Amino acid sequence: MIDYLYDGTFEGLLTCIYRHYYSEKASGIFTEDSYQSSLLSRYRVIDTDAGQASKVYEAVDKKISSYDLRRIYKTFRSSADEKEMKILRYVVMGFKRGSCISMLHGDPVVFAVQQAEKKVGNEAHRLKGLLRFSVLRGGVFYSRVEPDNDVLEFLAGHFCDRFRNDAFIIHDIKRRKALVARDGSWYISDMDTDAIPPADAEEKEFRRLWRLYFNTTAIRERTNPRCQKNFMPQRYWKNLTEMTCGPAGTDRR
Amino acid sequence: MTGITEGTYEKLKILADSAKFDVSCSTSGTARKNNGRIGNAQMAGCCHSWSADGRCISLLKVLFTNDCVYNCEYCVNRRSADCRRAAFEPAELAALTIEFYKRNYIEGLFLSSAVAVSPDHTSERILASLRMLRRDFGFAGYIHAKIIPGTSPELVHAIGLEADRLSVNAELPCRSSLERLAPQKKPEHIFTPMKQITNTLIDRQALRGPGTMFKGLDINSGDSYLSSGAYGRDSDPLSPGGDLIPRPHKRIKESFAPAGQTTQMIIGASGETDQQIMKVSEKIYHTFKMKRVYFSAYIPMTDSPLLPGRNTSPPLAREHRLYQADWLLRFYGFSSDELFDERHPDLDPDLDPKITWALRNLHMFPMEVNRAGMNELLRIPGLGTLSALRIIRQRRICTVRYEDLKKMGVVLKRARHFLTCSGHYYGCTDFTPESIKNEILQADGGVQLSMFDTAAENMSTIYQLSGLKVPGIPAAPSQKAGGTV
Repeated sequence: MIDYLYDGTFEGLLTCIYRHYYSEKASGIFTEDSYQSSLLSRYRVIDTDAGQASKVYEAVDKKISSYDLRRIYKTFRSSADEKEMKILRYVVMGFKRGSCISMLHGDPVVFAVQQAEKKVGNEAHRLKGLLRFSVLRGGVFYSRVEPDNDVLEFLAGHFCDRFRNDAFIIHDIKRRKALVARDGSWYISDMDTDAIPPADAEEKEFRRLWRLYFNTTAIRERTNPRCQKNFMPQRYWKNLTEMTCGPAGTDRR
Repeated sequence: MTGITEGTYEKLKILADSAKFDVSCSTSGTARKNNGRIGNAQMAGCCHSWSADGRCISLLKVLFTNDCVYNCEYCVNRRSADCRRAAFEPAELAALTIEFYKRNYIEGLFLSSAVAVSPDHTSERILASLRMLRRDFGFAGYIHAKIIPGTSPELVHAIGLEADRLSVNAELPCRSSLERLAPQKKPEHIFTPMKQITNTLIDRQALRGPGTMFKGLDINSGDSYLSSGAYGRDSDPLSPGGDLIPRPHKRIKESFAPAGQTTQMIIGASGETDQQIMKVSEKIYHTFKMKRVYFSAYIPMTDSPLLPGRNTSPPLAREHRLYQADWLLRFYGFSSDELFDERHPDLDPDLDPKITWALRNLHMFPMEVNRAGMNELLRIPGLGTLSALRIIRQRRICTVRYEDLKKMGVVLKRARHFLTCSGHYYGCTDFTPESIKNEILQADGGVQLSMFDTAAENMSTIYQLSGLKVPGIPAAPSQKAGGTV
């Protein structure tokens, strides 16, 4: 038994799974920068191997199912604790049980992956609504987000289709990366900058109109802040135009 | 900023304020790739924000104008009301929608209007705005348009070709209330466009019913629909549409209201019982095959002698129970007759309607989760469609154990009294409606228990519920009804 350390990529994780089968059983899988070694455990740094990774990738696709392949990828993008081991256990069990693994809802191994996957899917869906663009000078749409899970690429298809004639940037400031799209095609790159031009008068005017609409459409007699927070958790508020408003209607962004 | 002017701010303020009582804000029911310059639609819909009242905001919900010739008692925009009036310009509204949409504030537009001059005049203005938005601005996002009662069929049709969803307000749950409170709105004027929309959808084989209500039936046929009207009397055999409506193109694929139609009614403004309200909405579902019937708790805004006084608090808890019952109709295979009996024409305020039904029909329980069919599973309180599907899926491979149920999303504090797992029962010891009700109420923790043990003969439970209604407001009901009931 040995701890495997990988570089944080999906291919790296698949390489670790390959090694789990062909060299030594894994007691844990960690990213290199998060690992804290202890006296009792041995560890090995795994170099990502494209060939080994694609063998595992193909095997999951063929011997389990493409649904489960997508499922473990979503789990990989989650921020669940020990997601690597959850995926490993799921894959090991999947190779034994085949495609019916996703029907075993009561099994703890399946349940752990199901929960992590659900969180990623839910947050991606939620962000499709709770993301706010600012239209910068030059017509580029820019948005800051701080999602719990790494969901950028699950937003790409939706927004690329929606704004297929425009350019936009969705900036994950927590992970310092960004989804950059133009005319319907997209890529993900590192982005570590605060050099975003401030909003111009036109942009500010639309923010003002939106806040007006937001406040007007609430029915005073039905006020229910608990219900509001339930649907729109407070951790998202700091990047929402309508919730970042000073006492005198000033813009704090 | 074409179209947006200095005055837009004030107009938006007035026209959003007048539209806020319209209930529907859903954007579901149609999936569309971007077929214009900007925008698309997702089947599941998408909420963009939640206002302070906990209702979701997904559409820019405004009136085109709030200048009304009608004088409906309950309405904030009635002719005799002393309020500021405004109207958008079509270009102004279209520009506002596009700019909001670009910033991802909204999923589309919800356009309603007060009746200015005449229904047709207003509808023409609505149509002009929608056409400008779709054609000049290339907007491919979601549009929900209100149809004003009394609009001519040609206009209804033309609006349907631009919008994703249409709705005609039923306003009130029965004919006599409508005559009393909105004398200028005739039931015929409300049901004629509803019928026309349904007929057009049937014609184009484009009808999809609400939930599982029409499971196994060909709903794209007029069979059940022509027999009765929604208010319990035959609707007038009016021609389904005017002669001026063009036949559908053979080559160009045009879509008419792909997300179907909905309606809404005010509850608590007139004296109907819950049973009457559910009966009417069931009839509307069956007759017009609508997607949704929305309920709107009446909020007193006027001092009319015909309506509840200013100090009456809106019946939010009742609205919540009605929505739960509505879900039972649409997704759980219930009929409105099952939910009520002669002694109980209203829904129980303490318990959700599914538990109330189960307690009245205890002879059907407990059910064995490893044997019951889908329709039976859906009858167990605490089980929803998703958990029932999961149970059935897992059953193909291995037995469902009691420990598995929680992981499948079953709400055990309710469900455990009504099911067995491989023959084991996990609910309360004596299988009577009273003790099960007590246990569920205690588990929910929302109801105060009586200090007086009045039913001494039933010693199995220490706490007894008082027969009186608990004073104070029940726990704040979730605004968006649904989920597992």
